[in-house]
Amino acid sequence: MPERLSFHIKRDSALHHLNPLTKLLLVLTLILTAFLAPFYWTPHILAVLFIPLLSMLGKVGREYFSTAIRLILPAATFLFAMQAFFQPVGEEIIFEFYFLDITRESFLFAFSNAMRIVVMVSAFTIFLLTTHPSELMSDLTRRGLPGQFAYVIISTLQILPQMQAKAQTIISAQRSRGLETEGGFFKRAGALVPLIGPLVFGSLVEVEERAIAIEARGFTSKHVKTSLHEIPDTSTDKLLRWFLTALILASIGLRIWLS
Amino acid sequence: MAFVNFQNVTYKYPLTKTPVLKNINLQVNEGEFIAVMGPNGAGKSTLCYALAGFVPHFFKGEISGEIEVDGKKSSESTLDEWVLNVGLAFQNPFNQISGAKYTVFEEIAFGLENIGVPRNEMKDRVDEAMALTGIRDLADRSPYSLSGGQQQRVALTSILVMRPRLLVLDEPTSQMDPIGTREVFGVVRKMAEEGMTVVMVEHKVEWIAHFADRVIALNEGQVLMEGKPNEVLTADLLPEKGFGISRYTSVARQAQQQGLWKQKQLPVTLFEAAEGFTSKGGGGSN
Repeated sequence: MPERLSFHIKRDSALHHLNPLTKLLLVLTLILTAFLAPFYWTPHILAVLFIPLLSMLGKVGREYFSTAIRLILPAATFLFAMQAFFQPVGEEIIFEFYFLDITRESFLFAFSNAMRIVVMVSAFTIFLLTTHPSELMSDLTRRGLPGQFAYVIISTLQILPQMQAKAQTIISAQRSRGLETEGGFFKRAGALVPLIGPLVFGSLVEVEERAIAIEARGFTSKHVKTSLHEIPDTSTDKLLRWFLTALILASIGLRIWLS
Repeated sequence: MAFVNFQNVTYKYPLTKTPVLKNINLQVNEGEFIAVMGPNGAGKSTLCYALAGFVPHFFKGEISGEIEVDGKKSSESTLDEWVLNVGLAFQNPFNQISGAKYTVFEEIAFGLENIGVPRNEMKDRVDEAMALTGIRDLADRSPYSLSGGQQQRVALTSILVMRPRLLVLDEPTSQMDPIGTREVFGVVRKMAEEGMTVVMVEHKVEWIAHFADRVIALNEGQVLMEGKPNEVLTADLLPEKGFGISRYTSVARQAQQQGLWKQKQLPVTLFEAAEGFTSKGGGGSN
């Protein structure tokens, strides 16, 4: 049974020691630069050079590459194929396959778009690998994010695997009473019906109890919340955030200026 | 003036037709350990919610009468202020895990974070509370990976760490083995001796007899009996009304009818039963 839904890997690296907000801003900068920078090769350089270096800086290179190969590359390849074949631009055909063809323009367009997606998903992956979710939420709460909002996000990450486990229990219980859950599509779909009722209504009851439980522990207290863990926020963080903000502004500015 | 004071409290949930609590009058002194027992639907949990402020602040519904804790009236208070004084742990431990924390240590600190306790003090208090309930070795585990009994201890610790003046427990040992139950009763007794007022809903009559100061028998939303544990727990009225009673009381009552139990008082615990049957004037010899 999965205990929690989190990619975070505890390591001792420069990236792990950055403030979560700095890392979030870094992700944003990478995405915006990849999408906005007016130079054709920007997303490619980011995806092939910068992102791998970043993952190694965070000492999560192996985990990142395994995600990239299993998840990000196949998705990007699919996206590339769709756009390359179906983008109705350009004259110069460089590849033909029955009625499908790829032009030079559609190839370049699809390639850079796929790379942008690679940058976006990779940046988030590295972020999730190096940031503990509760650290992120405590930091954002400290900066004024409503506690309720943070709670919803973070508890969902934990409660989803629990619901999954409960669904499994309900299925086992129904099966032991003779429900058939194996077979063709319709049989499987039909088996879901006796699962949904107990799962949904059970969860609603749980929500009320959980609300009481956290309320009893001062969840809506008007005191200023404190945090058990000290979240790093050094002068390097602040400097880096200024630098990243400048980069974002620069790529937006360049985009407007050059277009 | 009693620490907890219920005056003619009658309460009805928004969707029920008849009141769940009917004209309850109840006084609890500071540092007293009260056990509440009663059959299903007697209103035990509702009584707990009323003490902890969730009735009526959370559940709404119609309430009349007055609930006072530590001289403050529930009707004039808000829930977030009320819970600072009154801690509540209830039966299902799984739903009491906040879901916002990844380790038991963080889970117990959750309440202290909410009420703004400084970091150093927070760590000390969590350590102290975990030592008290004997769960120090669970500190780094995920709260979801624990057994039901362990989760109940975590839930109890999460409330104890907030140092409420009044501790309300709704079947806190329902998923525990006898050793765990004994330890929890011991901890609660200790807290009461240190001045915490405790109201605990429990079915385990032998433990109640051993640890509680006073027992309240609740039936159909009304106080049926209250008094010293041994008087209430051995009353003839209880089995008639469907209360679970100690097997030793049942045996001794049978024996009494046969003329084999010669003591004035019926026993609740094994020790009392053994004592009664073997002591002089007792009937065990035949």
